[in-house]
Amino acid sequence: MIDLIAALQPLVVGAVLIWSARVKLLDRHAATTARRSALARLLGEHRALPAYRLLGGIELALGGLLLLPPARRLETAAATALAVGFLGYLAYARRAAPASSCGCLSSRPTPVAGRSLGRAALLVVAAGLATLAPGDWPAALADRPLAGGAVLLAEAAAVVALSPELDAAWLLPLRRLRARLTDPLRGGTGLPLLATVQQVQLSDSYRRVAPLLRSDVREHWDDGEWRFVGHAARYQGRPVTAVFAVPLADGEPDAVRVAVVDDATGQTLLALSGAGRPAGPRLHVVPA
Amino acid sequence: MPQTLDRRRLLATAALGGVVGATGLGSLAPEAAFAAEPAAVEPGAPDPNFVEGRISKISGHLLLVTGSDTVLHSIRITDGTSIWKLHPTTFDQVAIGDGLYARGVRLPDGTLAADSVWVNIVNLHAHIAAVGRNLLHLDHKGQRIVAHVVPGRSAAVYNGTPAISDLSLLRVGRHVQVLGAWHPDTNEIDIATVYAAA
Repeated sequence: MIDLIAALQPLVVGAVLIWSARVKLLDRHAATTARRSALARLLGEHRALPAYRLLGGIELALGGLLLLPPARRLETAAATALAVGFLGYLAYARRAAPASSCGCLSSRPTPVAGRSLGRAALLVVAAGLATLAPGDWPAALADRPLAGGAVLLAEAAAVVALSPELDAAWLLPLRRLRARLTDPLRGGTGLPLLATVQQVQLSDSYRRVAPLLRSDVREHWDDGEWRFVGHAARYQGRPVTAVFAVPLADGEPDAVRVAVVDDATGQTLLALSGAGRPAGPRLHVVPA
Repeated sequence: MPQTLDRRRLLATAALGGVVGATGLGSLAPEAAFAAEPAAVEPGAPDPNFVEGRISKISGHLLLVTGSDTVLHSIRITDGTSIWKLHPTTFDQVAIGDGLYARGVRLPDGTLAADSVWVNIVNLHAHIAAVGRNLLHLDHKGQRIVAHVVPGRSAAVYNGTPAISDLSLLRVGRHVQVLGAWHPDTNEIDIATVYAAA
Protein backbone atom coordinates (compact mmCIF):
# COMPACT_ATOMS: atom_id res chain seq x y z
CA MET A 1 0.00 0.00 0.00
CA ILE A 2 2.80 2.41 0.94
CA ASP A 3 4.38 1.76 -2.46
CA LEU A 4 1.15 2.73 -4.18
CA ILE A 5 0.84 5.91 -2.12
CA ALA A 6 4.47 6.82 -2.76
CA ALA A 7 4.13 6.17 -6.49
CA LEU A 8 1.16 8.55 -6.71
CA GLN A 9 2.81 11.45 -4.86
CA PRO A 10 4.47 13.04 -7.95
CA LEU A 11 0.99 13.42 -9.41
CA VAL A 12 -0.36 15.14 -6.29
CA VAL A 13 2.65 17.40 -5.76
CA GLY A 14 2.82 18.24 -9.48
CA ALA A 15 -0.86 19.19 -9.59
CA VAL A 16 -0.55 21.45 -6.55
CA LEU A 17 2.57 23.12 -7.98
CA ILE A 18 0.93 23.79 -11.34
CA TRP A 19 -2.15 25.21 -9.65
CA SER A 20 0.06 27.44 -7.56
CA ALA A 21 2.03 28.50 -10.67
CA ARG A 22 -1.20 29.39 -12.45
CA VAL A 23 -2.03 31.94 -9.73
CA LYS A 24 1.46 33.44 -9.86
CA LEU A 25 1.77 33.61 -13.65
CA LEU A 26 -1.72 34.09 -15.07
CA ASP A 27 -3.76 35.84 -12.40
CA ARG A 28 -4.60 39.48 -13.17
CA HIS A 29 -4.06 40.47 -9.56
CA ALA A 30 -0.61 38.87 -9.26
CA ALA A 31 1.09 42.24 -8.71
CA THR A 32 -1.23 43.09 -5.80
CA THR A 33 -0.91 39.60 -4.38
CA ALA A 34 2.90 39.82 -4.50
CA ARG A 35 2.87 43.19 -2.77
CA ARG A 36 0.59 41.85 -0.02
CA SER A 37 2.73 38.78 0.57
CA ALA A 38 5.69 38.53 2.92
CA LEU A 39 7.97 38.58 -0.15
CA ALA A 40 7.68 42.37 -0.09
CA ARG A 41 9.03 42.32 3.44
CA LEU A 42 11.69 39.71 2.69
CA LEU A 43 13.07 41.07 -0.60
CA GLY A 44 11.82 44.63 -0.81
CA GLU A 45 8.73 46.08 -2.47
CA HIS A 46 10.06 46.31 -6.04
CA ARG A 47 11.61 42.84 -6.06
CA ALA A 48 8.51 41.11 -4.78
CA LEU A 49 6.73 40.77 -8.14
CA PRO A 50 9.73 39.45 -10.15
CA ALA A 51 10.46 36.97 -7.35
CA TYR A 52 6.81 35.93 -7.28
CA ARG A 53 6.79 35.38 -11.07
CA LEU A 54 10.11 33.51 -10.93
CA LEU A 55 8.74 31.24 -8.24
CA GLY A 56 5.70 30.62 -10.43
CA GLY A 57 8.00 29.66 -13.32
CA ILE A 58 9.96 27.23 -11.16
CA GLU A 59 6.72 25.71 -9.86
CA LEU A 60 5.38 25.31 -13.39
CA ALA A 61 8.56 23.65 -14.67
CA LEU A 62 8.88 21.32 -11.68
CA GLY A 63 5.18 20.52 -11.64
CA GLY A 64 5.28 19.65 -15.35
CA LEU A 65 8.31 17.42 -14.87
CA LEU A 66 6.66 15.62 -11.97
CA LEU A 67 3.45 15.01 -13.91
CA LEU A 68 5.32 13.61 -16.92
CA PRO A 69 6.51 10.09 -16.12
CA PRO A 70 8.93 8.78 -15.27
CA ALA A 71 9.37 10.68 -12.02
CA ARG A 72 13.10 10.82 -11.43
CA ARG A 73 14.53 10.99 -7.95
CA LEU A 74 16.18 14.30 -8.83
CA GLU A 75 12.79 15.85 -9.60
CA THR A 76 11.15 14.65 -6.41
CA ALA A 77 14.17 15.73 -4.37
CA ALA A 78 13.90 19.21 -5.91
CA ALA A 79 10.17 19.23 -5.08
CA THR A 80 10.99 18.24 -1.48
CA ALA A 81 13.48 21.07 -1.25
CA LEU A 82 10.92 23.50 -2.67
CA ALA A 83 8.25 22.31 -0.21
CA VAL A 84 10.67 22.67 2.71
CA GLY A 85 11.40 26.16 1.41
CA PHE A 86 7.68 26.96 1.36
CA LEU A 87 7.28 25.70 4.90
CA GLY A 88 10.19 27.83 6.09
CA TYR A 89 8.91 30.88 4.19
CA LEU A 90 5.41 30.55 5.68
CA ALA A 91 6.82 30.14 9.19
CA TYR A 92 8.92 33.27 8.58
CA ALA A 93 5.92 35.16 7.18
CA ARG A 94 3.83 34.25 10.18
CA ARG A 95 6.47 35.53 12.59
CA ALA A 96 7.86 38.53 10.72
CA ALA A 97 4.85 39.82 8.81
CA PRO A 98 1.68 38.40 10.38
CA ALA A 99 -0.49 40.87 8.44
CA SER A 100 0.82 39.64 5.08
CA SER A 101 -1.10 37.38 2.75
CA CYS A 102 -0.07 33.86 1.83
CA GLY A 103 -0.34 34.33 -1.93
CA CYS A 104 -0.22 30.55 -2.29
CA LEU A 105 -3.14 29.04 -4.18
CA SER A 106 -5.31 32.08 -4.80
CA SER A 107 -5.06 35.84 -5.15
CA ARG A 108 -7.66 36.18 -2.37
CA PRO A 109 -5.95 37.85 0.63
CA THR A 110 -5.40 35.04 3.10
CA PRO A 111 -3.39 35.46 6.30
CA VAL A 112 -0.84 32.74 6.93
CA ALA A 113 -2.54 30.43 9.41
CA GLY A 114 -1.99 26.98 10.85
CA ARG A 115 -3.79 25.42 7.90
CA SER A 116 -1.40 26.92 5.33
CA LEU A 117 1.51 25.55 7.37
CA GLY A 118 -0.24 22.17 7.52
CA ARG A 119 -0.62 22.15 3.75
CA ALA A 120 3.07 22.98 3.25
CA ALA A 121 3.98 20.19 5.68
CA LEU A 122 1.75 17.79 3.74
CA LEU A 123 3.64 18.68 0.55
CA VAL A 124 6.97 18.07 2.29
CA VAL A 125 5.80 14.62 3.40
CA ALA A 126 4.37 13.80 -0.04
CA ALA A 127 7.46 14.89 -1.95
CA GLY A 128 9.75 13.20 0.60
CA LEU A 129 7.80 9.96 0.31
CA ALA A 130 8.14 10.06 -3.48
CA THR A 131 11.89 10.63 -3.12
CA LEU A 132 12.34 7.72 -0.73
CA ALA A 133 10.27 5.25 -2.75
CA PRO A 134 10.21 6.36 -6.38
CA GLY A 135 7.61 4.78 -8.62
CA ASP A 136 5.76 5.16 -11.88
CA TRP A 137 2.36 6.71 -11.25
CA PRO A 138 0.54 5.69 -14.51
CA ALA A 139 1.57 2.09 -13.95
CA ALA A 140 0.58 2.16 -10.28
CA LEU A 141 -2.78 3.68 -11.13
CA ALA A 142 -3.39 1.13 -13.88
CA ASP A 143 -2.49 -1.67 -11.48
CA ARG A 144 -4.90 -0.73 -8.71
CA PRO A 145 -7.26 1.93 -10.09
CA LEU A 146 -9.74 1.76 -7.20
CA ALA A 147 -7.26 2.07 -4.34
CA GLY A 148 -5.22 4.60 -6.33
CA GLY A 149 -8.30 6.70 -7.01
CA ALA A 150 -9.23 6.63 -3.33
CA VAL A 151 -5.73 7.75 -2.31
CA LEU A 152 -5.76 10.63 -4.83
CA LEU A 153 -9.24 11.70 -3.75
CA ALA A 154 -8.28 11.66 -0.07
CA GLU A 155 -5.15 13.69 -0.73
CA ALA A 156 -6.97 16.20 -2.91
CA ALA A 157 -9.58 16.56 -0.15
CA ALA A 158 -6.81 17.10 2.41
CA VAL A 159 -5.18 19.81 0.26
CA VAL A 160 -8.52 21.58 -0.27
CA ALA A 161 -9.41 21.31 3.42
CA LEU A 162 -6.04 22.82 4.37
CA SER A 163 -6.46 25.75 1.93
CA PRO A 164 -8.18 28.75 3.53
CA GLU A 165 -8.25 30.35 0.05
CA LEU A 166 -10.73 27.76 -1.16
CA ASP A 167 -13.17 28.08 1.78
CA ALA A 168 -15.46 30.34 -0.24
CA ALA A 169 -15.97 27.56 -2.76
CA TRP A 170 -17.06 24.77 -0.41
CA LEU A 171 -16.98 25.66 3.31
CA LEU A 172 -19.08 28.84 3.23
CA PRO A 173 -21.83 27.28 1.06
CA LEU A 174 -21.96 24.37 3.50
CA ARG A 175 -22.23 26.72 6.47
CA ARG A 176 -24.86 28.77 4.61
CA LEU A 177 -26.84 25.59 4.00
CA ARG A 178 -26.60 24.60 7.66
CA ALA A 179 -27.74 28.08 8.71
CA ARG A 180 -30.69 27.83 6.32
CA LEU A 181 -31.69 24.46 7.71
CA THR A 182 -31.29 25.25 11.41
CA ASP A 183 -31.92 29.04 11.38
CA PRO A 184 -29.76 29.59 14.49
CA LEU A 185 -30.39 33.35 14.72
CA ARG A 186 -34.16 33.06 14.87
CA GLY A 187 -36.22 34.38 17.71
CA GLY A 188 -35.40 38.08 17.91
CA THR A 189 -38.58 39.93 18.81
CA GLY A 190 -39.58 43.20 20.35
CA LEU A 191 -38.71 46.77 19.48
CA PRO A 192 -35.00 47.40 20.10
CA LEU A 193 -33.94 50.57 21.90
CA LEU A 194 -31.96 51.62 18.83
CA ALA A 195 -35.14 51.81 16.75
CA THR A 196 -36.62 54.20 19.32
CA VAL A 197 -33.43 56.27 19.43
CA GLN A 198 -33.38 56.47 15.63
CA GLN A 199 -37.00 57.62 15.65
CA VAL A 200 -36.20 60.23 18.30
CA GLN A 201 -33.20 61.53 16.40
CA LEU A 202 -35.25 62.05 13.26
CA SER A 203 -37.94 63.95 15.11
CA ASP A 204 -38.61 67.63 15.17
CA SER A 205 -38.73 67.54 18.99
CA TYR A 206 -35.17 66.21 19.13
CA ARG A 207 -33.89 68.77 16.67
CA ARG A 208 -35.20 71.55 18.83
CA VAL A 209 -33.71 70.40 22.13
CA ALA A 210 -30.59 68.62 20.82
CA PRO A 211 -28.20 71.51 21.59
CA LEU A 212 -29.19 71.27 25.26
CA LEU A 213 -28.40 67.55 25.56
CA ARG A 214 -25.20 66.61 27.35
CA SER A 215 -25.30 62.84 27.64
CA ASP A 216 -26.13 59.75 25.65
CA VAL A 217 -29.27 57.82 26.68
CA ARG A 218 -29.22 57.65 30.50
CA GLU A 219 -32.32 55.61 31.11
CA HIS A 220 -35.26 54.18 29.25
CA TRP A 221 -38.41 52.42 30.27
CA ASP A 222 -41.68 51.25 28.78
CA ASP A 223 -45.01 52.24 30.27
CA GLY A 224 -48.18 51.10 28.56
CA GLU A 225 -48.19 52.29 24.97
CA TRP A 226 -45.15 54.51 25.40
CA ARG A 227 -41.40 54.18 25.67
CA PHE A 228 -39.53 56.91 27.51
CA VAL A 229 -35.92 57.83 26.84
CA GLY A 230 -34.08 60.19 29.20
CA HIS A 231 -30.96 62.26 28.51
CA ALA A 232 -29.10 64.52 30.91
CA ALA A 233 -29.20 68.09 29.64
CA ARG A 234 -28.21 71.52 30.79
CA TYR A 235 -30.03 74.77 30.52
CA GLN A 236 -28.74 78.10 31.85
CA GLY A 237 -26.28 76.27 34.08
CA ARG A 238 -29.03 74.15 35.62
CA PRO A 239 -28.97 70.36 35.34
CA VAL A 240 -32.16 69.26 33.62
CA THR A 241 -33.52 66.04 32.17
CA ALA A 242 -34.81 65.84 28.62
CA VAL A 243 -37.29 62.98 28.43
CA PHE A 244 -38.64 61.83 25.09
CA ALA A 245 -41.92 59.92 24.89
CA VAL A 246 -42.19 57.62 21.88
CA PRO A 247 -45.33 55.63 21.06
CA LEU A 248 -44.45 51.94 20.74
CA ALA A 249 -46.96 51.40 17.96
CA ASP A 250 -46.17 54.44 15.82
CA GLY A 251 -42.81 54.68 14.06
CA GLU A 252 -43.32 58.20 12.74
CA PRO A 253 -40.82 60.80 14.02
CA ASP A 254 -43.71 63.28 14.23
CA ALA A 255 -45.23 61.27 17.09
CA VAL A 256 -42.26 61.89 19.41
CA ARG A 257 -42.88 64.21 22.34
CA VAL A 258 -40.34 65.78 24.62
CA ALA A 259 -40.29 67.45 28.01
CA VAL A 260 -37.44 69.26 29.69
CA VAL A 261 -37.66 68.93 33.47
CA ASP A 262 -35.58 70.73 36.07
CA ASP A 263 -33.70 68.11 38.13
CA ALA A 264 -33.78 70.14 41.34
CA THR A 265 -37.37 71.39 41.40
CA GLY A 266 -39.15 68.90 39.16
CA GLN A 267 -40.65 71.81 37.25
CA THR A 268 -41.45 71.22 33.58
CA LEU A 269 -39.53 73.89 31.69
CA LEU A 270 -40.74 72.87 28.25
CA ALA A 271 -42.98 70.29 26.63
CA LEU A 272 -43.38 69.81 22.91
CA SER A 273 -45.72 67.42 21.22
CA GLY A 274 -44.29 66.39 17.92
CA ALA A 275 -44.82 68.20 14.68
CA GLY A 276 -44.54 71.83 15.52
CA ARG A 277 -43.80 74.19 12.70
CA PRO A 278 -40.23 75.40 12.98
CA ALA A 279 -39.83 79.07 13.72
CA GLY A 280 -38.41 81.28 11.05
CA PRO A 281 -38.83 81.54 7.32
CA ARG A 282 -39.45 78.42 5.26
CA LEU A 283 -38.38 77.91 1.71
CA HIS A 284 -40.93 76.19 -0.49
CA VAL A 285 -39.40 74.60 -3.52
CA VAL A 286 -41.80 73.83 -6.32
CA PRO A 287 -40.53 71.50 -9.01
CA ALA A 288 -40.52 73.25 -12.38
CA MET B 1 -36.56 52.08 43.90
CA PRO B 2 -39.71 54.04 44.86
CA GLN B 3 -37.64 57.15 44.17
CA THR B 4 -36.90 55.95 40.65
CA LEU B 5 -40.57 55.18 40.10
CA ASP B 6 -41.64 58.61 41.35
CA ARG B 7 -39.07 60.27 39.15
CA ARG B 8 -40.14 58.28 36.14
CA ARG B 9 -43.78 59.09 36.79
CA LEU B 10 -42.90 62.77 37.01
CA LEU B 11 -40.92 62.65 33.76
CA ALA B 12 -43.60 60.65 31.96
CA THR B 13 -46.30 63.05 33.06
CA ALA B 14 -44.19 65.97 31.87
CA ALA B 15 -43.60 64.40 28.48
CA LEU B 16 -47.19 63.32 27.91
CA GLY B 17 -48.82 66.37 29.51
CA GLY B 18 -49.99 69.34 27.54
CA VAL B 19 -47.72 71.61 25.61
CA VAL B 20 -45.84 73.92 27.92
CA GLY B 21 -44.73 77.06 26.19
CA ALA B 22 -41.46 78.79 26.55
CA THR B 23 -42.19 79.84 30.14
CA GLY B 24 -39.07 78.59 31.78
CA LEU B 25 -36.91 78.30 28.74
CA GLY B 26 -36.79 81.69 27.06
CA SER B 27 -36.55 81.73 23.31
CA LEU B 28 -37.33 78.45 21.56
CA ALA B 29 -35.46 79.18 18.37
CA PRO B 30 -32.60 76.72 17.89
CA GLU B 31 -30.19 79.64 17.63
CA ALA B 32 -30.80 80.45 21.29
CA ALA B 33 -29.75 77.00 22.36
CA PHE B 34 -26.56 77.30 20.35
CA ALA B 35 -25.67 80.29 22.49
CA ALA B 36 -23.71 77.89 24.71
CA GLU B 37 -19.95 78.27 24.46
CA PRO B 38 -18.51 76.46 21.46
CA ALA B 39 -15.86 73.87 22.18
CA ALA B 40 -12.45 75.33 21.42
CA VAL B 41 -10.40 72.52 19.87
CA GLU B 42 -7.43 73.25 17.66
CA PRO B 43 -7.61 71.38 14.36
CA GLY B 44 -5.43 68.29 14.63
CA ALA B 45 -4.99 68.59 18.39
CA PRO B 46 -6.41 65.91 20.68
CA ASP B 47 -9.88 66.71 21.96
CA PRO B 48 -9.37 67.65 25.64
CA ASN B 49 -12.93 66.59 26.43
CA PHE B 50 -12.46 62.99 25.33
CA VAL B 51 -10.67 60.13 27.07
CA GLU B 52 -10.12 56.51 26.10
CA GLY B 53 -8.38 53.78 28.03
CA ARG B 54 -8.79 50.97 30.50
CA ILE B 55 -9.92 51.32 34.07
CA SER B 56 -7.12 50.59 36.53
CA LYS B 57 -8.81 51.78 39.70
CA ILE B 58 -12.24 52.80 40.94
CA SER B 59 -12.50 54.93 44.07
CA GLY B 60 -15.92 56.27 44.89
CA HIS B 61 -17.15 57.95 41.74
CA LEU B 62 -13.66 58.55 40.40
CA LEU B 63 -12.25 56.26 37.69
CA LEU B 64 -8.53 56.03 37.11
CA VAL B 65 -7.99 55.22 33.46
CA THR B 66 -4.82 54.29 31.59
CA GLY B 67 -4.99 55.49 27.99
CA SER B 68 -3.67 53.40 25.13
CA ASP B 69 -0.81 55.93 24.95
CA THR B 70 -0.18 55.07 28.67
CA VAL B 71 -1.33 58.53 29.80
CA LEU B 72 -3.26 58.43 33.07
CA HIS B 73 -6.65 60.12 33.23
CA SER B 74 -9.13 60.51 36.05
CA ILE B 75 -12.81 60.58 35.22
CA ARG B 76 -15.55 61.69 37.56
CA ILE B 77 -18.93 60.04 37.19
CA THR B 78 -21.67 62.53 38.05
CA ASP B 79 -25.41 62.21 38.59
CA GLY B 80 -25.92 63.23 34.98
CA THR B 81 -23.45 60.80 33.40
CA SER B 82 -24.86 58.29 30.97
CA ILE B 83 -23.16 54.89 31.17
CA TRP B 84 -23.36 52.48 28.26
CA LYS B 85 -22.27 48.89 28.60
CA LEU B 86 -24.07 47.07 25.79
CA HIS B 87 -27.10 49.12 26.86
CA PRO B 88 -27.71 52.15 29.10
CA THR B 89 -26.80 50.91 32.57
CA THR B 90 -25.67 52.04 35.99
CA PHE B 91 -22.30 52.78 37.57
CA ASP B 92 -22.19 49.56 39.60
CA GLN B 93 -21.86 47.58 36.35
CA VAL B 94 -18.49 49.18 35.62
CA ALA B 95 -15.50 47.04 36.63
CA ILE B 96 -11.73 47.32 36.84
CA GLY B 97 -10.16 46.15 33.59
CA ASP B 98 -12.99 47.47 31.43
CA GLY B 99 -12.08 49.65 28.50
CA LEU B 100 -13.96 52.89 27.96
CA TYR B 101 -14.54 55.96 25.87
CA ALA B 102 -15.63 59.01 27.85
CA ARG B 103 -16.78 62.44 26.80
CA GLY B 104 -17.33 65.33 29.17
CA VAL B 105 -15.88 68.56 30.46
CA ARG B 106 -12.40 69.11 31.90
CA LEU B 107 -12.43 70.45 35.43
CA PRO B 108 -9.68 72.86 36.50
CA ASP B 109 -7.78 70.02 38.25
CA GLY B 110 -7.59 68.02 35.01
CA THR B 111 -10.31 65.54 35.93
CA LEU B 112 -12.84 64.84 33.21
CA ALA B 113 -16.38 65.27 34.49
CA ALA B 114 -18.02 62.73 32.23
CA ASP B 115 -21.25 63.42 30.39
CA SER B 116 -21.24 60.05 28.64
CA VAL B 117 -19.20 56.91 29.17
CA TRP B 118 -19.20 53.97 26.78
CA VAL B 119 -17.73 50.92 28.47
CA ASN B 120 -15.97 48.23 26.39
CA ILE B 121 -17.49 49.64 23.20
CA VAL B 122 -16.06 48.23 19.96
CA ASN B 123 -16.80 49.00 16.31
CA LEU B 124 -15.72 46.29 13.88
CA HIS B 125 -15.88 45.74 10.15
CA ALA B 126 -15.80 42.01 9.57
CA HIS B 127 -17.06 39.08 7.56
CA ILE B 128 -19.40 36.47 8.97
CA ALA B 129 -17.40 33.23 8.90
CA ALA B 130 -20.05 31.05 10.53
CA VAL B 131 -23.22 31.31 12.58
CA GLY B 132 -24.29 29.26 15.58
CA ARG B 133 -27.21 29.42 17.98
CA ASN B 134 -27.24 33.12 18.97
CA LEU B 135 -23.60 33.32 17.89
CA LEU B 136 -21.68 34.90 15.03
CA HIS B 137 -18.13 33.88 14.22
CA LEU B 138 -16.55 36.93 12.62
CA ASP B 139 -13.44 37.09 10.51
CA HIS B 140 -11.81 40.43 11.30
CA LYS B 141 -8.61 40.90 9.29
CA GLY B 142 -7.79 37.23 9.67
CA GLN B 143 -8.60 37.17 13.39
CA ARG B 144 -11.54 35.16 14.64
CA ILE B 145 -14.01 37.03 16.85
CA VAL B 146 -16.90 35.36 18.62
CA ALA B 147 -19.90 37.69 18.75
CA HIS B 148 -22.78 36.76 21.04
CA VAL B 149 -26.33 37.72 20.22
CA VAL B 150 -27.99 38.95 23.41
CA PRO B 151 -31.75 38.35 23.11
CA GLY B 152 -33.68 41.51 23.86
CA ARG B 153 -30.62 43.72 23.42
CA SER B 154 -29.00 42.97 20.07
CA ALA B 155 -30.46 44.76 17.08
CA ALA B 156 -29.88 44.65 13.35
CA VAL B 157 -30.00 47.45 10.80
CA TYR B 158 -30.49 46.14 7.27
CA ASN B 159 -29.79 48.49 4.35
CA GLY B 160 -30.06 51.49 6.66
CA THR B 161 -33.73 50.87 7.53
CA PRO B 162 -34.98 51.22 11.15
CA ALA B 163 -33.43 48.76 13.60
CA ILE B 164 -35.19 45.49 14.33
CA SER B 165 -34.52 42.63 16.73
CA ASP B 166 -34.55 39.94 14.05
CA LEU B 167 -30.99 38.94 13.18
CA SER B 168 -31.96 35.96 11.07
CA LEU B 169 -31.37 37.81 7.78
CA LEU B 170 -27.59 37.78 8.37
CA ARG B 171 -25.78 35.53 5.89
CA VAL B 172 -22.54 33.59 6.18
CA GLY B 173 -19.80 35.17 4.07
CA ARG B 174 -21.31 38.67 4.05
CA HIS B 175 -19.68 41.83 5.29
CA VAL B 176 -21.06 43.41 8.46
CA GLN B 177 -20.31 46.29 10.77
CA VAL B 178 -20.78 45.41 14.41
CA LEU B 179 -21.10 47.72 17.39
CA GLY B 180 -20.76 45.79 20.59
CA ALA B 181 -19.35 45.36 24.06
CA TRP B 182 -16.03 43.59 24.38
CA HIS B 183 -15.46 40.93 27.04
CA PRO B 184 -12.14 42.27 28.37
CA ASP B 185 -9.04 40.25 27.45
CA THR B 186 -10.90 37.79 25.21
CA ASN B 187 -11.80 37.66 21.53
CA GLU B 188 -15.50 37.72 22.42
CA ILE B 189 -18.03 40.52 22.20
CA ASP B 190 -21.73 40.99 22.84
CA ILE B 191 -23.57 42.46 19.88
CA ALA B 192 -25.34 45.77 20.34
CA THR B 193 -26.02 46.53 16.69
CA VAL B 194 -25.06 44.78 13.50
CA TYR B 195 -25.29 46.71 10.23
CA ALA B 196 -25.68 44.54 7.15
CA ALA B 197 -27.08 44.35 3.67
CA ALA B 198 -30.04 42.04 3.24
